[in-house]
Amino acid sequence: MSPEDFDRLQALVATRTGNRLRRDRLNLAEHRLGPVARRAGFDSVDVMLAALWSKPVASLAWEIIESLLNGETWFRRDRAAFRTMTEELLPALSQARQGRTLKIWSAGCSTGQEAWSLAMAALDLKLDVEVLGSDLNRIALEKAYQGAYTGFEIQRGLSAATMVRWFQPQGELWTAADPLKRVVRFERANLVDLSATEPDDRFDVIFCRNVLTGMEPAARALVLEGLERRLVDDGCLFLGADESLNGDSLAFRPVSGRRGLHVKSPTFLQRAA
Amino acid sequence: MSSRLCLIVDDSRIIRKVSRRIVEALGFDVDEAADGAEALTFCTGAMPDVILLDWNMPVMDGLTFLRRLRTLPDGGRPKVLFCTIETAVDRITEALAAGADDYVMKPFDGEILHAKFAEVGAV
Repeated sequence: MSPEDFDRLQALVATRTGNRLRRDRLNLAEHRLGPVARRAGFDSVDVMLAALWSKPVASLAWEIIESLLNGETWFRRDRAAFRTMTEELLPALSQARQGRTLKIWSAGCSTGQEAWSLAMAALDLKLDVEVLGSDLNRIALEKAYQGAYTGFEIQRGLSAATMVRWFQPQGELWTAADPLKRVVRFERANLVDLSATEPDDRFDVIFCRNVLTGMEPAARALVLEGLERRLVDDGCLFLGADESLNGDSLAFRPVSGRRGLHVKSPTFLQRAA
Repeated sequence: MSSRLCLIVDDSRIIRKVSRRIVEALGFDVDEAADGAEALTFCTGAMPDVILLDWNMPVMDGLTFLRRLRTLPDGGRPKVLFCTIETAVDRITEALAAGADDYVMKPFDGEILHAKFAEVGAV
């Protein structure tokens, strides 16, 4: 892949997803594009890119973009956030909602571990819950939807007791059990395109962790604006443990002492009213 | 603060070596035993903070060791993680019921072991 190819890829990924493709990722990018080129029937990554630049095809462009996004995740990633969620937020929310179904969104769920983790946490507390997992990457999303994980994946973050309670062995894989599958659904979503549509439905809690980190500042603002519109006014937003708003948006403020936890800012609520 | 002790019980020297490297990186002192009887002798001398325990071993298997360990004075204190090739749900349940704090299916890697140590509150 030439430096010019990489520049054009960088521009493509940034325009469509708001993500910043770092130059030190050139080798990784080339490695990830190999399988995409093979699937699409090209002899090499270079041939595929040349074809794309001369005659852009949306489906190929998206396949390329999706393969370049970082999708590493695991169960109950960042335990402090899950502790806050299970010990404080879920009990408080279920009381405040008086039996109405709690809606939780794992935005940027990749292969789904976060969405399943949230569902397990809520079901363990016997709560009525619906979890949505969304991601841009269709291959990751397909795996999330299957809910089937290798021994390595299932053990990363889950205790054995939790694993055998909620997952069943099927051959070499561990698959989410039906009670879990009943409350989780997955759909494709591009977080920078959210503000274009009015939400018909809002969430009580949104997890959007380690997604903003890879994005351009303008895209981060756009995403936060979209998340704000999809969160109920007294809802909670979790960003990654090491992520902060950095003045990207006035819509949210951090909750002190609870890393990653954000609520809507009062000033913003007044302005919205 | 004195550093904490992890006992690795496995009849495979290679597994002990691999586990040792991971556990030392988590900040533990490590000792090794090749079967349950050896491990039990070790524990009556110096009770470790964490025990990584294989299931199938000569002389005394992991489950027998675990049951005896839990009857020793202070034997309830170590966090015991079974580390075994057994992946059947009833074996996992049996190990947890016998007093294991968690269960690791082989093969495992450093990230899994780190996550498991965090899960039982050992790191």
